Amino acid sequence: MNEEFPYLKDAEEVVTVQRGPEPGGAKGAYRAFGETLRGLRTTMARLIEGPMTIQYPEEKTPVYPRFRGRHKLHRFEDTGLEKCVGCSLCAAACPADCIRVVAAENDPDDRVSPGERYAAVYEINLARCIFCGYCEVACPFDAITMGHEYELADYNRGDLIFTKEMLLAEPVERTPLRREGE
Amino acid sequence: MSAERSKVTLVVDGVEVTADDGAMLVDAAKEGDVEIPVFCYEPKLGGPVGACRMCLVEIEGIPKLQTACSTPVRDGMVVYTRTDRVIESQSAVVEFLLVNHPLDCPVCDKGGECPLQDIAMGWGPGRSRMTEPKRHFRKPMPLSPLVRIDRERCILCYRCVRFSQDVAEDEQLQLLERGASSHVGTFDDHPYIAPFHGNIIELCPVGALTAEAYRFRARPWDIEDSGSVCTLCPSQCNVMFTVRDEHVQRVLARDNDDVDAGWLCDKGRFGFQMITSEERIVEPRVGGSRAGWEAALDAVAERLRSAGERTAAIVGGQTSNEEGYLIQRLLRGALGSANITSVDELEAGLARRLAAPELGAAVPDLDAAESILVVGTDPLNSIPILDLRIRRAIRQGRARLVVASERPTALDGGAEETARYAPGDAAGFLAALAAELGNRRQAGAGTPGRAADEVPGDGSDWAEGARRIAGELRPGKTVIVYGERLGRGPGGDSALASLLECARALDLATAGAGVIGVPEGANGRGLREVGCLPGAGPGFAEAPAGRGLDRIKQGLLDGELDAVVLVHADPIRNLPDGPGWAEALRRARTVIAVSAFDDASTETADIVFPAESYAEKEGTVTHPDGRLQRLRPAVPHPGNVHPIWQVLAELGARLGHETGIGSVPEAVATIAAEVPFYAGITPEEIGGRGVRWQERPAASAVAELAAVPPEQRTSRTNLDRDDSGTLTADRLRLGTYPALWADEITDRNVALRFLAPAQTVELAPSDGERLGLASGDEVEVRSNGTGVRARVALNERMRPGAVFLIEATAAENANALPAELNVEVIKP
Repeated sequence: MNEEFPYLKDAEEVVTVQRGPEPGGAKGAYRAFGETLRGLRTTMARLIEGPMTIQYPEEKTPVYPRFRGRHKLHRFEDTGLEKCVGCSLCAAACPADCIRVVAAENDPDDRVSPGERYAAVYEINLARCIFCGYCEVACPFDAITMGHEYELADYNRGDLIFTKEMLLAEPVERTPLRREGE
Repeated sequence: MSAERSKVTLVVDGVEVTADDGAMLVDAAKEGDVEIPVFCYEPKLGGPVGACRMCLVEIEGIPKLQTACSTPVRDGMVVYTRTDRVIESQSAVVEFLLVNHPLDCPVCDKGGECPLQDIAMGWGPGRSRMTEPKRHFRKPMPLSPLVRIDRERCILCYRCVRFSQDVAEDEQLQLLERGASSHVGTFDDHPYIAPFHGNIIELCPVGALTAEAYRFRARPWDIEDSGSVCTLCPSQCNVMFTVRDEHVQRVLARDNDDVDAGWLCDKGRFGFQMITSEERIVEPRVGGSRAGWEAALDAVAERLRSAGERTAAIVGGQTSNEEGYLIQRLLRGALGSANITSVDELEAGLARRLAAPELGAAVPDLDAAESILVVGTDPLNSIPILDLRIRRAIRQGRARLVVASERPTALDGGAEETARYAPGDAAGFLAALAAELGNRRQAGAGTPGRAADEVPGDGSDWAEGARRIAGELRPGKTVIVYGERLGRGPGGDSALASLLECARALDLATAGAGVIGVPEGANGRGLREVGCLPGAGPGFAEAPAGRGLDRIKQGLLDGELDAVVLVHADPIRNLPDGPGWAEALRRARTVIAVSAFDDASTETADIVFPAESYAEKEGTVTHPDGRLQRLRPAVPHPGNVHPIWQVLAELGARLGHETGIGSVPEAVATIAAEVPFYAGITPEEIGGRGVRWQERPAASAVAELAAVPPEQRTSRTNLDRDDSGTLTADRLRLGTYPALWADEITDRNVALRFLAPAQTVELAPSDGERLGLASGDEVEVRSNGTGVRARVALNERMRPGAVFLIEATAAENANALPAELNVEVIKP
């Protein structure tokens, strides 16, 4: 039986609310300004650090090593053959449905990839891509990886469909990597 | 086949399951939602073999693990599929299968739809203990020009070998060598060339057998499946088109036991390339130059209006029921002409009687029949899938097969008796057979009847053959498969009338027995039933008599007809007397052709409409056994192709004959309203499996058709020959036959072109000896001053005195010879 709430059968149903200090006094002043001062301290500290502006596009924002930018297709370093065999697993994994692969059979005298098949068409529609990196995870031959390039703006949507040749090519300018601890 | 099988109850993994007595455990377990993995088990191939050992299960009371695929269920059986022993054995089997499997799934075409992948995932050990190098073979090797074999991937389940040995019975595929070097192959690495060999690709549970045409084209997640019906031949097999990027990439079987039992012939499987061919006509043409639809329709309407009732139409077998209905309505309704016929024309009265529902057998009736008579056709050439069906019926030991034909058939080997009549003598032979059967029936009933020898005319050797054939036929339990081409030529009506007499003498108007007519065109039966027949309208209704094929040709030559409409028909190539047709079409004032490709007939056409391919068409077709089936569009129309039903309806409207048909379902409804035995049928009722109209209540409407009194049998004397039955070697008689690969479909599919036969003249060895000819000699077959060059093939099963040429070959077409029976074979 609860004396304060006699109609409640069980005392456990009563929740006691913890109130803060009443306004006024030192505690009240801290409550009003304490957090603001803490924020101001951070602001002041940054003020003496100097400007952090990056002069984009003359300067580029460095990215982390595992940054997921535009995809890259790879070749074997020794033979120069494409790693991609056109298995289309990336297309299957892609949640945005932005990869299109059309495979073809290798000509043994003029190979494109080491296996029986290669990707005759490999296109990624970067306008649709959500840069989730599932394609990279799905690839059984490490043929596709997410690169560091993030400057992908263009004037036409059609130009955002990257072909195999574009994806295989080395990027003109390397995106700077963020240093350890930065 | 009996539906009333007794049931047994068993327990699978603690679930009580009720299954048919005699069912195999693997099938029964499915009733309890328990999946037992299998590789070699495939009921389509016949009995289980228990070769792969994947389906081992533990059964209470049996100490050793048992193969679920070959263990029939028993009442009270207690089965465990997930005990430690079973799991261990399953892991071991998968591990063994993967010892030498290359695991090149990313490159393999089967990847994503591979039972080995699925089973290794579901029942495999999950990791490999093998560090040894794998066994290697040279790969991929061509097994045939259409199929490649990768022997490293093969798990030796025997499915393909069993198909070749037990289903197609071509016995070409073998398991060669032993132990680790066992592999599937043919004797001496000969290419595996057989009419059904594409089925092994679909049977293969791994990627060992791949189709040349589908290699690396698509992945299972890139494609969409689209079910339809193949209309390349009268088998009308149910197919599944694999579509990627709006192109058909592959054709698979869509199992329908009532039609095809899950098999496809190679023509159906690989004949899809023509759908995307560069050579297709994709725009209307007027006077040889491209035109828009408006201009073309205006031009046709104007010409047809001026031709009026002096118009004729020939409808080819690829035409759907809706198109056939609309073209006959265009002629009969808008133009007042009755000259409409299909390539499968029959005399109206006969067509009516042959369509009688109680006389018609269904395809599955072949399985249960006690005797099967194949007459006047070689199913392998004309309706290939029935060839497999008949072979299966014989193999299962229930049916006895008899074959009566003018040319040796592929089924002869399995036949109890064969009779070979001379080309053009079908009427005489069938009359003798009808007399013999009638005789036997009456003898059975106690009254002596007319002996076969007493058939008017010199039928002595027919009588002998007829007696042998009749002796094998079981009254009331026989299915007759006859070629509708028996109805061609001067004795045709009499031949089919005799066939009907045979059917009556055998009591075939009973359940499980009957006749199946094999038309020349894929939808031959449907076209007749919707009114593409000169003497009968939709539903065989009485209609003013019109001209048949021969009289259309004559009318065009004589100038009595002005215009002719060819709907999917190429008479110059495919009908007898091609040169006559060429001349007739040249003389015609107007030729309008609906065709997907340029051919000899479209060359003469003033206006050409592009035709849809069967993968683009919407509509219905009727199987030779009366099953209505639906065609559903799988891919969009290329270029400026419009649906033909729409074009025909539009033409009707321009000629002042509004049909009120604005969609395919409306066309189906209109046909259902006009054809009494299709009454009330809807596309939904037909569905994916089709429906036989004989099995619907509306079929009783046709009982009246059958009750039409049998007409007077046409006299056999109009055969106008003096040598019936007794052929002498110095007067060779010519017969022609449609070979499976001799048609425009083969020519239009690059992959199939190697199969197109060169013209061959078949002779009996005795004739060859007399004329000094050996197999392989180049000769000329001459008749009335025209000749066809051909290579000699001596065939000991040929009847002496008969020679055979192939119809509709691309070059040296036998149809180029005049319709003359006697020929000379000359060595040039």
